[in-house]
Amino acid sequence: MKLSKLLEKAEALLDPKERKRKAQKKNLKHVIKKLRKQEKSLLKSLESESSKPQAAKIQDQVNLAHAQRKKGLKVLKELKKS
Amino acid sequence: MIRKLFLPSIFAILAYGFWVSPDFKEIAAGVAIFLFGMLALEEGFKAFTGGVLEKLLRKTTNKLWKSLCFGVISTSVMQSSSLVSVITISFLSAGLISLAAGVGIIFGANLGTTTGAWLVAGFGLKIKISAYAMPMLVFGIVMVFQKAKELKGSGYILSGLGFLFLGIHYMKEGFETFKGSFDLTAYAVSGYPGVLLFALIGVLATVVMQSSHATLVLIITALAAQQITYENALALAIGANIGTTITAILGSLSANVDGRRLAGAHLIFNVVTAAVAIAFIYQLTGLVDVISSWVGIASDNYTLKLAVFHSIFNGLGIVLMLPVINRMVSFLQRVIKPRTLTAAEPRYLNTSTSGLADTAIEAVRMETLHLYDNASEIIAEGISLNLKDILSKRPIEETVASARKPVSFDIDERYGHNVKELYAKIVEFISHAQSNLSPSQSDELFALRAAGRDIVEAIKDTKHLQKNLSHYFTSENEAIRQEYDNIRANLANALRQLDAVRRQAGDANASLSLDSIKIGMKQHDRDLNSRLSTLIRGHSISAPMSISLMNDSGYAYHVTKNLVKMGEVLFSTGESQLREAERSVALDEGELEELLQNPKNSPPSQHDETQ
Repeated sequence: MKLSKLLEKAEALLDPKERKRKAQKKNLKHVIKKLRKQEKSLLKSLESESSKPQAAKIQDQVNLAHAQRKKGLKVLKELKKS
Repeated sequence: MIRKLFLPSIFAILAYGFWVSPDFKEIAAGVAIFLFGMLALEEGFKAFTGGVLEKLLRKTTNKLWKSLCFGVISTSVMQSSSLVSVITISFLSAGLISLAAGVGIIFGANLGTTTGAWLVAGFGLKIKISAYAMPMLVFGIVMVFQKAKELKGSGYILSGLGFLFLGIHYMKEGFETFKGSFDLTAYAVSGYPGVLLFALIGVLATVVMQSSHATLVLIITALAAQQITYENALALAIGANIGTTITAILGSLSANVDGRRLAGAHLIFNVVTAAVAIAFIYQLTGLVDVISSWVGIASDNYTLKLAVFHSIFNGLGIVLMLPVINRMVSFLQRVIKPRTLTAAEPRYLNTSTSGLADTAIEAVRMETLHLYDNASEIIAEGISLNLKDILSKRPIEETVASARKPVSFDIDERYGHNVKELYAKIVEFISHAQSNLSPSQSDELFALRAAGRDIVEAIKDTKHLQKNLSHYFTSENEAIRQEYDNIRANLANALRQLDAVRRQAGDANASLSLDSIKIGMKQHDRDLNSRLSTLIRGHSISAPMSISLMNDSGYAYHVTKNLVKMGEVLFSTGESQLREAERSVALDEGELEELLQNPKNSPPSQHDETQ
């Protein structure tokens, strides 16, 4: 590894802001992943739901999880840019 | 009187000692430096209590053996059983661990503290320890002056170890030169009277120094310089173990009932172990000889043999007490009874948690949840429902339809007694806990304080709502009755959903499901507005009724909004960074509005970005 890269890595390791940003990214990815799982399982239960009012409720939940996930991805993108 | 005389007497004895012997001065300075090192070490580890230690404590207390191992390992690493005791008491007071788990940790800490004797006897006396102390102090102090919390904490730990080494060095040197002018062994007492007398001296020395570790190092260095006999050193070590419980008892005075029970368990463990060790001291000495020869310790290496003895008798204590741990816990629960607390009295706030930032935050969170419990009862009764019925599995519509009698109570009086008083105590505790907090920890406390204010606001809105609601939900007019029942059902539903989210707390993204309550509340508001015109046009309700309905629907909207805001802070547990990530994903007002207007704009898609 080149010395400049090594120094960059060391700087990133010692810089609290960079460490915080990395942790934020990691946690956000975790939340997004969970939302994705939740959305998938809701879609599965939506397929097997026969009652219309219940299906509408599940659909609302799917929409909500989807919107939250989309927002999460947007925040993650901004975090990656900064 | 005794308390007033205690400190001057200690000063007088020390001053006389310094005047009589310069060697005594060197030994005492060694003890002082050693104790200062322990303080620095504790300060350093406290810098890391904002995560690692708490996380470990949470994960390692579900089984007794895990609690025991946590006690052994954490005390061995930190070399301070009192720090482990203080953290355990504060966790117990904040309701984060069970009493049995706390007792397990304390038992383990007793065994863990014996590693100190091994380190000093095996390492500290064999090499020129001061040569290591100097660079450690220099590097440590440079790190202490750094801004980053981790570097500062590491600096305290390094300089703390440096001071410990330096202290040991001075004690060793002091006893070596003391030997030439004064022979303490002339005061040795043999037989059981000697054991009892020196055990008592060990207790007193530990009470004065507030550290069994310091007493033990003093005993080992004195033993190495042949200033005390091996037999008397063993008795002193037994005494030090009893003396250390005084620190735990003092620490538990401000703790809640579980904290006091834990200190009781510590006292029972150490007194029983010491009694057994004193009764069988000669048999134990024989056992030490056998084990020492097994592990290759020379028969005249009394310092290492003392370390063996210390480990054996603390291990013996665990063997004796572990089988009766549950009986001991129930005995302590029987003997140390909690006071009957009123609804307004705090359950989790006490000064023992205020020293540890994250534990203090957790205590405030738990207490604010208690505030919410008090408030949700008032809110439920404010809409003439019973909280238990709301939280049952019965359909909300049925619950609302069957509760036709208005609940009359003075909401202001209940607010004053059960909410305002408790909230004032929470705010006061937060103000005291502000010092030594990182910016993110301060933000966390501010958010919790704001959550308390949201609860207060929700009650105030319920008060406004209560007046018309009690009148209209029993009205002869079916349309207005139905509308007010809708308001009751919506609020009850919000309370039930909030309870469900609270129960899921700990599951990832649980707090994000609060957004669905917000959507429900907006939807209800919108539906009511569209129905309102129809109701007025059809003369189903009068114009004054419609105004009351609009106002009260607004109050109900604000109650729910405030409770959801509170839930976003209170029901979100786990690591602070993960909570922050969850909050950043929660939808704001505009985004919720957009989702309501265009639900089709966010169709579920199986193949997009996260893949």
